[in-house]
Amino acid sequence: MTEWWLEPYRSLTSFLDTGGWVLNWIFAAAVVLWMLILERLWFFWRVLPRVEGRVRSHWFQRPERRSFGARRVRGALLGRVNLLMNQTLPTIQVLIAICPLLGLLGTVTGMIEVFDVMAVKGTADARAMAAGVSRATVPTMAGMVVGLSGLFFINRFQSRVRVEAERFGDTLSVSEQPA
Amino acid sequence: MNGRIGIGMMVVALLATPAQAQTASVEGLDALLREVQSAAAEGRTLNREREARFLRDKNEQAAMLREAEADKRKADARIATVRQRFEAQQREVQALKTQLRDNVGELDQMYAGIRQAAGDLRALAADSLITAQNPTRLELLDQLASGRELPGIPELEQLWVTLLEQMTESGRSVRFEAPIVNAEGLSRTAEVVRVGTFTAFADGEYLVLDEQARLVALPRQPSRSLRGLAADFSETQQGAAPVLIDPSRGALLSVEADKPDLLERVQQGGAVGYVILVLGLIGVLIAVGQLLYLIRTGSRMRRQAGQLDQPRQDNPLGRVLATFRDDAGGDDDPELLELRLSEAVLRETPSIERAQSILKLFAAVAPLLGLLGTVTGMIATFQAITVFGTGDPKLMAGGISQALVTTVLGLVVAIPLLFVNSLLNGRSRVLIQVLDEQSAVLLAQRLEGRRD
Repeated sequence: MTEWWLEPYRSLTSFLDTGGWVLNWIFAAAVVLWMLILERLWFFWRVLPRVEGRVRSHWFQRPERRSFGARRVRGALLGRVNLLMNQTLPTIQVLIAICPLLGLLGTVTGMIEVFDVMAVKGTADARAMAAGVSRATVPTMAGMVVGLSGLFFINRFQSRVRVEAERFGDTLSVSEQPA
Repeated sequence: MNGRIGIGMMVVALLATPAQAQTASVEGLDALLREVQSAAAEGRTLNREREARFLRDKNEQAAMLREAEADKRKADARIATVRQRFEAQQREVQALKTQLRDNVGELDQMYAGIRQAAGDLRALAADSLITAQNPTRLELLDQLASGRELPGIPELEQLWVTLLEQMTESGRSVRFEAPIVNAEGLSRTAEVVRVGTFTAFADGEYLVLDEQARLVALPRQPSRSLRGLAADFSETQQGAAPVLIDPSRGALLSVEADKPDLLERVQQGGAVGYVILVLGLIGVLIAVGQLLYLIRTGSRMRRQAGQLDQPRQDNPLGRVLATFRDDAGGDDDPELLELRLSEAVLRETPSIERAQSILKLFAAVAPLLGLLGTVTGMIATFQAITVFGTGDPKLMAGGISQALVTTVLGLVVAIPLLFVNSLLNGRSRVLIQVLDEQSAVLLAQRLEGRRD
């Protein structure tokens, strides 16, 4: 009955069961976070060059590129590209900040469960407390792992945005000749 | 006696009155003599009577003594016979006792064994669901375990049957009619489904045994899905169906029933918990209001961007356009124009970036408040331990789990606030960027238009 392709799904559901309801939230946060990260990777790899190309052609189609007004327009164009690059970064940052908080939430709820068992049974029965303990520790670990995995990428993206803004600003030259 | 005193008195009278004695001497003396003689005779008769009476009394006493002695002799004889009989019976009892000991022999150990077995089975049956199906078992077991009278063969066979029943029934799922007590304490008869000795349910409600071996519906039932499982199992007439098994025979279900639900948990948070919740509520209201404002403003600005030549006053972009148009007759110094534009944009930013700083503050304060509640709860718990000692882990554990509730509340409030805040941040930055961009385009058009 056990099909091999269901095995990953089964192990995932059993893992989510050990972590309690908070782990589902962490899982959802991880899914959203990684979708956003992959979207940004795709953006920097494929979308951004096209956008920059369009903006550059628009800039070089202008009759003049030296006046005060033209420089304002250039600033606006640069701003627009910058906005596009930064579009989802705040969300990613918030998700990364939230993951450890969710882990902490899982820890505290798990601890409440452990102490509830103690309050009912009146003894520190390790077997009865095991479920609560796993609920207290698994979300913490998961939240940390998810947050750390995103941390590396958000740093990469931020430095990429800085470098890209500089570089693109340089390509939109104010000289009369296209660079 | 009287006579003698009389004589004495007479003599004294004679001595005292010699003259009188001379006159009445002759008749007085004769009379005195007669008197004395009659008195003496009287005394003698009295004495005789007295002696006669005394003699009579003495005879009577002797007769009574004889009677009493005869009684005593009779009583002694009776005592002797009774004592003989008593000793004979004592000997008989002794003989019977030894006979009993000889007769019982090894049966004694067997009866002790039966008593113990019945006691053990009584304890087992008292918290076994099978007893609910067959409540008369306990009476028999009580009678056997008390050991007041020797059990006969039928009782022994019943004990054996009960043991076998307990064994076989614990491996079966059975449907039976039984009285159940609901949460209000009212009893009614219902169709109960029993799964081994583990779980029992009726009408999709889980049941546990109370001290009197009655089936009681749990006051707080487990989750809806588990209740549905029970109902489905009850409706299944044949074949296999999934069912909830409580391996602790009801203890875990009772623990589940003792757990506080969400509302009770929130109440455990106390004053600090309510403060956190109010904070979260205010934050969410502010955030939602600001979000609606930004969405409305954004759509108006987009409409305005399509009609740059008709500035409306109901959106920031329109207002910037209006200020720009108003000083059309002004000077054309680009620096000044730019200054005016950036001023106009700056005037619009506060309303767009409103509420973000307060939301950040709330998101930072909520976990701190939660920590505060937890620490105060812990302090209360440890004070209780100082008073009552650590003999009762329940006291400590209950206090700690209550104290942790505020931390949970703080996190539950802070996480959505952080999220909403980033949402607001993103939208507001887009709007301000649009303002900047449009104003730059305006400036460029103005300057270029003027140069043409």
